[in-house]
Amino acid sequence: MIAAMGEELPLAGVRVLEIGGGLPAAFATRWMVGFGADVVRSEPARETLGRDEQAFLLPGKRRVGATPRELRALALAADIVVEDGEPGALAARGLDPTALRREKPSLVVASLTPFGQTGPAAGWRATNLVAHAMGGILSLTGVVPRPPLQNGFSQAWMLLGLNGFSAALAAYYGSLVHGEGDWIDLSAQECAAGMLELYGPRAAFERTEAPRLGNRVHAIWGIFKCEDGFAGVCALQRQAPAFFAMSGDPALADPRYLDPGYRLTVDVELGTHVARWFADKKKRDVLELGEKHKVPMGAVQTPLDLVHSAGLEERGFFDTVRTPSGDARVPGRPFEGLPWHVGELHGPAADTDAVRHDWLGARA
Amino acid sequence: MKKLPLEGVRVADLSMMWAGPFATRLLGEMGAEVVKIESPRAWDNVRTLLPQPGATEPWNTSYYFNDYNRDKKSLTLDLSQPRGRALFLELVAKSDCVIENYRADVLDKLGIGYEVLRQARPDVILVSMAGFGKTGPEKGLVGFGPIIEQMAGMASTTGYGDDGVPYKTGISYGDPIGGIAAAGAVVLALIARRRTGLGAWIDLAQRETMAQMLGPAFAAASLRGESPVHRGNRDPRFAPQGVYRALGGDQWVAISARDDGEWRALARTVGASALESLDLSERSARHDELDRRIEAWTLARGPREAAETLQRAGVAAAPVLDCNAIHEDPQLAARGSWVELPHPKTKTWKQPASAWRLVEAKSLPRRHAPLFGEHNREILCGLLGHAERELAALSAAGIIGDAPIGAREG
Repeated sequence: MIAAMGEELPLAGVRVLEIGGGLPAAFATRWMVGFGADVVRSEPARETLGRDEQAFLLPGKRRVGATPRELRALALAADIVVEDGEPGALAARGLDPTALRREKPSLVVASLTPFGQTGPAAGWRATNLVAHAMGGILSLTGVVPRPPLQNGFSQAWMLLGLNGFSAALAAYYGSLVHGEGDWIDLSAQECAAGMLELYGPRAAFERTEAPRLGNRVHAIWGIFKCEDGFAGVCALQRQAPAFFAMSGDPALADPRYLDPGYRLTVDVELGTHVARWFADKKKRDVLELGEKHKVPMGAVQTPLDLVHSAGLEERGFFDTVRTPSGDARVPGRPFEGLPWHVGELHGPAADTDAVRHDWLGARA
Repeated sequence: MKKLPLEGVRVADLSMMWAGPFATRLLGEMGAEVVKIESPRAWDNVRTLLPQPGATEPWNTSYYFNDYNRDKKSLTLDLSQPRGRALFLELVAKSDCVIENYRADVLDKLGIGYEVLRQARPDVILVSMAGFGKTGPEKGLVGFGPIIEQMAGMASTTGYGDDGVPYKTGISYGDPIGGIAAAGAVVLALIARRRTGLGAWIDLAQRETMAQMLGPAFAAASLRGESPVHRGNRDPRFAPQGVYRALGGDQWVAISARDDGEWRALARTVGASALESLDLSERSARHDELDRRIEAWTLARGPREAAETLQRAGVAAAPVLDCNAIHEDPQLAARGSWVELPHPKTKTWKQPASAWRLVEAKSLPRRHAPLFGEHNREILCGLLGHAERELAALSAAGIIGDAPIGAREG
C-alpha cells in the first residue's frame, strides 16, 4: 500500500452542500466526504436512492431538513454547492447560482443535469436510460441487430457524478488560488459525447458509421466464453506476437497472423480459433498467462467475486459500513496516497440542529 | 478575462493511449500547462494506430490522437538515455505534477520512480495510474479499458438478460473513467499541498475507479450475496422502459415511464389508452406486451420525431444518438458543444468542447494537439535554459526528434 502523505484529510474544513438528492450529486460528493469535506446533504422531498445506493453514497454525510431560508444561508456558508435538480430548480428555490456567486464570489456551484442548463432539450424529462441515449455510448453498446444496451448501474448518472467531483474540485482550487469560484454547468450528454474513444472523432472526421460490435471488436480484442465463465484479451499489434506465442495452439501459429493487415482479412476465422482456445481455459489460467507474457488479458468478475478478492483486500479497497441490514462492504478510497476517512450512515435529517449550529451559528 | 482554475499549474505528462491523456486533456482545458513527453523511439501509440491513407506525417494527422491531446505541448525525450532522464528531471523540478499510466513496473525501471522525482522537486505530485495499482498480488496484470471493465465487475452487470452473456461497453470505458478520476486526484493533491506543503504519490488503480461506478452492487453482494441480474434496458423502478426500434435502419428511441402519470401519457400517445390504469406492478408483469404496443408506434416514425412527440406529451424519451447523429444534435449544437480547431497538418473536424463548462471562465479548447516535438525548443531552451546549439546534439543522439524513429516503416 502506498503511504499517504501527511495525516490531515485533504478536504478538512471544506464545506460542501449537496442539494437534489439524486444519484449524480450524491456520487459527486461521495469522495469529497471521504477525503474530509464536511458534506451536508439537504434532504430531498422524496428519497430516490435505494438502500444499497445509500449504503455506498451517504456514509459520513450530515443530513439536514432545511427551510428555504436556511437552505440559502447554508449555500452561502458553503465552499461548494453540488446540485442535480432540473434546470432552473435552484433559482426557483431562491438559490440562483449567479446571484449566490455575486453575493459570495469564492463559491463554487456545480449543477448536474441530463442535458445542461440551456438548449432546446434542457427541460426534457429523463431517466438514466434516456440521458444515456443522447450521449453516444448507448448506441455503441450491445450487438446488432439487437437494441443498443445500457450498462449496469445507472452509468449516465454515475459518469455525471464522477465529472461533478473532479470539475467541482478544479473550480474550488481555482477559487483558492485566484479568489473566485465559478458556476459549472455539467450535462450528462456532454460528459459522454466527449469520450467516444476513436468512434466519435472518426465519425466527425470521416462520417464513418460505428456499429455495435458486441463483445468482439476483432479477433484478439474481445470477451470470450471460457470454461468457468467469460474472459478476454485486448492485444494491440505490439502484443499480438506474445499472445499467439503463449497460446501454444497450432491453429494460432500461422506466422501470417502477425501481420495486422492479414489478420483483418481472416478476422472471423481467426476469431473462431481464438474462441476455441479460450473455451477450455479457466479464468485463473487466462490471468496467469496474461501476466506472465505481458499480454492484456482479463476475466469477467462479479461484485460478489470482488468483495472476496484477496488483491482488493490487500490494497484496502473496501470500507465497511454499518447499515440497518448489517455490515456492507462498499468501495472506499478511489485511489491511494491521500488520507481517507470511513464515515458512518446518518439518519434522515438527523444533523439538522448540529449543522444549524456549526454552519449558521444558530443555537441548537 | 477571468482566469481558468488551473492557470499556473504545470503537468509533466508521461501518459499514453487514452486513460492518462484523457486526464491531461481535462487538466489542459482547465488551464494547466501540460507538457506531453514522448520518446522518439517510444511514442504515444495512438499517434500511429490509425494512420490516414496517404498521410506523409501520420503521427501528426491522427484525429484519434489529436482529439485527446489538444491544449498540450509536445516534448520529445528518450528516457532510456541518461541525458534524456536528466532533462526530464529538470522539467520535473519546474512542474507541479507528473502523471503516468505505464504498466506498474515501468517507471522504476526507467529510473524515475517517486523518490527520484522527489529529489528533483520535493513537493511534486506523482499520479500513477496502472491498471491494477502499484501494489498487491495483481499489480503485474496488464490492462486496457475493456480488461479493466471485466475485472472491475462492470461487464458482469451488463447484458440482455436472455442469453447469460456479459457485455463490454462499446467504448474502452475503463480509460476515461480512470482519466476523469485522475484529473480529480491531481486537483485534490494540489488542494492538499497548498495547505500542507507536501506533495503526494497517488496510486490510482484503474480497476478500482471503475469498480466505484457500480458501488451499490458491492453493498448488494456483501449484504445479501447477490450477483448481478441482467435487465437489458429495463429498470425495476420504471415500467415500461426500453429501447425501441424506430423508422429507418438501426434507429432507436429510449423511453421510460417514470410514474403513473407518465405511463398514462405514454399509453394515450401510442394508442393504448385501454391500458392506462395499470399500476407499476401490473406494468412490470405485462412488460413484454407493453413493449410490443410501444414498438408498433415507434416503428412508424423516426427516433427524433418519436422522442419529441413523447416529450411534448410529458414522457421521458430520447433518440439514441449514434456517432454521426450526435454531431448533428440540435441540443449540442445550441450549446456550442463542438469546436473546430485549426490544425497545420490536417483538416478540421467537430471536436467536443470541454464538458466541464465553466459558465464564467468559459472553458473552451484553445489549441490543436501538438505536432511531434513541436515544443522542444520552447521547453528545453525557453523553460529549462539550455542553449540552442544543444538541440542539434540531442537530436543527433536520438534523445529528441520531430518524427518518431521507425514510424514510417509501420
